[in-house]
Amino acid sequence: MPGYRVEVDATRCIGSGQCVARAADVFDQREEDGIVVLLLADPGPARRDAVEKAALLCPAQAISVAEVP
Amino acid sequence: MGKDHGDDIDALPLFPFARTDPFHPPAQYAEARRQCPVSPVRLWNRQRAWLLTRLAQFRSVLQDRRFSGEFARPDFPAVTEARVAIDKAERAFVGMDNPRHQHFRRMFTREFSHKRMMALRPRVEAIAADLLDRMEREGPPADLVEDLAVKLPALVMCELFGSPYEDHDYIMRCAAGRHGLRQSPEEAARSASDLVAYCRALIDAKERAPADDMLSRVIAEFVLPGTLGRDELADICAMILRAGHDTTTNMIGVGTLVLFQHPEQLARLKADPSLVERAVEELLRYVTPVQFAPRRVALEDVELCGARIRKGDGVFAIAPSANRDEEAFPDPDRLDIGRDASQHVSFGYGIHQCLGQGLARIELHVVFTALFARFPGLRLACRLEDVPFKYDSQIFGAYRLPVEW
Repeated sequence: MPGYRVEVDATRCIGSGQCVARAADVFDQREEDGIVVLLLADPGPARRDAVEKAALLCPAQAISVAEVP
Repeated sequence: MGKDHGDDIDALPLFPFARTDPFHPPAQYAEARRQCPVSPVRLWNRQRAWLLTRLAQFRSVLQDRRFSGEFARPDFPAVTEARVAIDKAERAFVGMDNPRHQHFRRMFTREFSHKRMMALRPRVEAIAADLLDRMEREGPPADLVEDLAVKLPALVMCELFGSPYEDHDYIMRCAAGRHGLRQSPEEAARSASDLVAYCRALIDAKERAPADDMLSRVIAEFVLPGTLGRDELADICAMILRAGHDTTTNMIGVGTLVLFQHPEQLARLKADPSLVERAVEELLRYVTPVQFAPRRVALEDVELCGARIRKGDGVFAIAPSANRDEEAFPDPDRLDIGRDASQHVSFGYGIHQCLGQGLARIELHVVFTALFARFPGLRLACRLEDVPFKYDSQIFGAYRLPVEW
């Protein structure tokens, strides 16, 4: 069954925290500067909607979702 | 408007357009969205500027490095001559491009992280409860703006940031001075420089007597080792204080009024308080306090959506219009607290998106939960025509909102 993988680009991140608000089990923010930390690169189908929403809402486009065949 | 490339400056409509309806942005935006989503206008100084009236271009331009957000540039567009005076005095990262923007912003992002904001929530609830206690003790009528909408963000900023509460009237006056549309450049520049001078003195005071607050932490971590200058910090503090006061206040006031005007939506919220997070996003979309931002200047010629934007032209990303974009929000002039409005751009978009959006959300979740739980019969205590609105400000809101219960 096809899945997906999450990638984050910490150099683009502005620490808005919108991804953590959407999916706190997938994304976190570094304590020292609020920059994104990916907790789960393969969060599974149940979290897909929340992850896609986090990617859409990220103001710095620091989150991408890639299909895995 | 259709094929107008704005070559004849004097033939272009003068911007900003006058707002006349408390619940809807000027009608020119809806027409532009239909006919010419990237529309040319003329500014007070005869500079040409382009309005981004739809969400798609709002988002694309604010990620496009062919457009600069440097307030200090001589060709940076402004709605009034007074605003130019402020832009030239503004040296905080809100008016900088990367990499300088990121260098400074990252010193503050952790203070507004999602976890920090969640941890602050019980304090925001306690502050809201105190203010509602006082309203209840003093009895109706109350002015929701003065008694809750102004005080709550001020008290929260006081705790989080570390500015003394007794100074908040002064900070509010400086913030209002900055956002007025009908003031002289001299008045505007003075209110901007007064607040920076106040912040500079506050930094000295915190350096002598550190406390458990944002300002003290930033001083210890970045100022004392020499990473951040005291004058640089004063500029950033002024930005944070202004933004922390004058925006949430307007959302609480007008947001409450919008719910009064939609009794069926208010009834839904009271019946199911778990709707509050969606309701707050929808109110942010519907109200959109910030009227004429973010802004950019074109660094080169850009073809966009049929418009020929030329190097040196201004660009206004019009959040009140993008938030009524029919393609993104079906039936956009209808308030629906159950819809998913989270794509709204009331906090802007791109790398400059509001640093304090998490704080604003917590404050609004708490207020729109506690207010109607405490006063289920809360209603407007005057005629709608008698509510004084901030038609004279770059941040829309109500000066007063008389309520009873």
